[in-house]
Amino acid sequence: MYQVEASRALLKPRLWFRRPEALRVSRNVFMLGLTSMLTDVSSEMVATILPIYLVFSLGASPLALGAIDGTYRGAAAVVQVGAGFVSDRWRRHKQVAETGYGFSALGKVALVAAGSSVGGIGAIVAFDRIGKGIRTAPRDALISLSSTRDNLATSFGVHRALDSVGAFLGPLVAFGILLAAPARFDAVFFVSTLFAFLGLAVLVLTVQGKPWRAPREGTPPSFRRAAGLLRESRFVLLLLAALVLSLTSVSDALIYVGLQRNVDFDPAAFPLLYVVTAVAFMALAIPIGRLADRVGRVPVLLGGFAMLFVDYAALLSNDLGYVGLIVCLVALGAFFACSEGVLTAVAGAALPDDLQASGIGILITVVSVGNLLSSLAFGALWVTIGLQQAVVVFAAGLAIALLIAAPLLVRSQRSALNG
Amino acid sequence: MGSRNAKILVALVVLCVVGGGAYVAVAALAPNETSTDANPVAAADADAPVMVRAVDPGDTRLNGRVFVVDGTVTARSGKDLTCERVYYAAGHGLCLGVAASGVEYTATTFDSKLRPLHTFTLTGLPSRARVSSDGRYGAITVFVAGDAYRGSSAAFSTRTYVVDMAAAKPIAQLEQFQVIKEGKPFEGVDFNFWGITFDPTDSNRFYATLGTGTHHYLLEGEVSTHELKVLRDGVECPSLSPDGKEIAFKSRMGSSDTWRLKVLDVATLKDHPVAERRSIDDQVEWLNDDTLVYSNGTNVYAVPADGSGEAKLLIRDAGSPVRIESGEKL
Repeated sequence: MYQVEASRALLKPRLWFRRPEALRVSRNVFMLGLTSMLTDVSSEMVATILPIYLVFSLGASPLALGAIDGTYRGAAAVVQVGAGFVSDRWRRHKQVAETGYGFSALGKVALVAAGSSVGGIGAIVAFDRIGKGIRTAPRDALISLSSTRDNLATSFGVHRALDSVGAFLGPLVAFGILLAAPARFDAVFFVSTLFAFLGLAVLVLTVQGKPWRAPREGTPPSFRRAAGLLRESRFVLLLLAALVLSLTSVSDALIYVGLQRNVDFDPAAFPLLYVVTAVAFMALAIPIGRLADRVGRVPVLLGGFAMLFVDYAALLSNDLGYVGLIVCLVALGAFFACSEGVLTAVAGAALPDDLQASGIGILITVVSVGNLLSSLAFGALWVTIGLQQAVVVFAAGLAIALLIAAPLLVRSQRSALNG
Repeated sequence: MGSRNAKILVALVVLCVVGGGAYVAVAALAPNETSTDANPVAAADADAPVMVRAVDPGDTRLNGRVFVVDGTVTARSGKDLTCERVYYAAGHGLCLGVAASGVEYTATTFDSKLRPLHTFTLTGLPSRARVSSDGRYGAITVFVAGDAYRGSSAAFSTRTYVVDMAAAKPIAQLEQFQVIKEGKPFEGVDFNFWGITFDPTDSNRFYATLGTGTHHYLLEGEVSTHELKVLRDGVECPSLSPDGKEIAFKSRMGSSDTWRLKVLDVATLKDHPVAERRSIDDQVEWLNDDTLVYSNGTNVYAVPADGSGEAKLLIRDAGSPVRIESGEKL
């Protein structure tokens, strides 16, 4: 029986772009991935050239852009939780996500129209950040609601893989345009706007707003019920596990800076570190999602964080060499593939259907607070006791965090099954 | 997905491909206007030739050709040498700018005829450039984005490189040097280095700035040993005088991005302000042992180094001033 089915599947043409089922995810998830991919091409095109445009064409200080971005990042975190709850409350995940993607698209139009003032650029960066804050939780809720319990992690893997393809293509498109039309930043902004609207169009035209797992009846969830998530043990255990793990994982940017000081390589090759990690992430996101659905999401999640030990060891070694460097970048890519998407999938499985966006919004905020604190702590330790000692502290911390998180996650899953 | 929606989407894709393609094609075929007609004008007698980059205050896109001004313009570069930052010594020029594509930053070495020689890619926005007085080493500081330890992915930090001028390639990066403070190793995740100035008598020795937290330390360093020593706080963008006895620098006022120009004595490390009252964000140049030259972004000014007198306009529509030694042929 099984063999027959398998051979029939082999005989079918595997046009994965026409048949997302071949990836074992729903069409909705694939289309949300395409939306993110197109939007990321659009944002990364602009992000690549914005510094050069600001400084050389507008004569602004590069510090201005950093200040703008820092301010609105905080705003985005607050918007995140609110947008998550609102989309649950109104049962309008798709519309809230559309608003978020729409914000970014309108920002690009504004860039074409009024791109020659520094204040205008600031407003656009703000629009983009707030748009990202609005869309993330409802979009992830839609991915979760469009999946079955059996392919949740695969769904997030497919979405994150497509998303990172966009982040990879964006700079290439921008580069291509400026190669054909030197210094014509307006052409980059124009094409970026088209990508943003295409992304929005894919969302509006092809994504189902009410996937089958979405609740169709009953009263909409109240704010009290959403806040009550923070008293539900399966969700709180998950949040605690996510917090201890994010507190003890060093951000990729810090790992790159550390590696650069330990490995003696050509400084001009620094951007290659990002590229190798991104390619590893892109290639691993889908297989790791599948693995998580097959052998269990919690072991894969914990294994992903354990990948960081490879990078911590690399930071401690004095003589790494190129092979070691590549191994540790691939490990970092695997860490990304095993952590963020799989964690969201674990949350999706633990959360009630009518509170998916609220719960995911809370989770993302907790993780970003954890990451921020971890970066600050690592920086402070680096200054006071040195890089290697700071790494030792974080490695010990991560080992303890894994020992704490493992039972928390197992208990969270068990109460999810029972509840 | 309904077939109607599918048709709309296909139509939109076609529209975008055609529209975007047409826009880029028209942009690609339009005349290129990146070259400059801006003309630096000498406003006062400098007693010596000064190399500058041209600044057109009306259209900042049309910037950057290299000029040599000595009473009048005595030399200018072609369209193939446009710089955001320029320096020159002993027949070796260093120009930091944007590649023709507009997305890459490049460093270009050039000769005494202002002809480009070799180009290599930079990892960020050009900020400072220097060449040692024997023409052996160059120094480059760039701004880079994306060091998340500042709490924001778009926060800028700096990278500073030492360049072998003859080979036209970076040979060292200050981030990989060992810093010593009060006799002990000094480390930190938020270390940023910028603004190298070479010792005029020994190009292996240099001074630079280390920024960490709210501190801006003056460093003394050596290219050969990869060591940096902290000398004192509150000094940014040092610039050694031709006789090597004094350092001109910018001194931050409070925590804001405003600076006053000051000069310190290398032997005692004590400083005094100069007569320029405006905030200046530049790595100052010495016209001679008594006079500083610097730019506010649009014009070049001169001021006595001993704190006397007042700032006077030297060259209009120019930036990145470089002293040209009397023996140089340009």
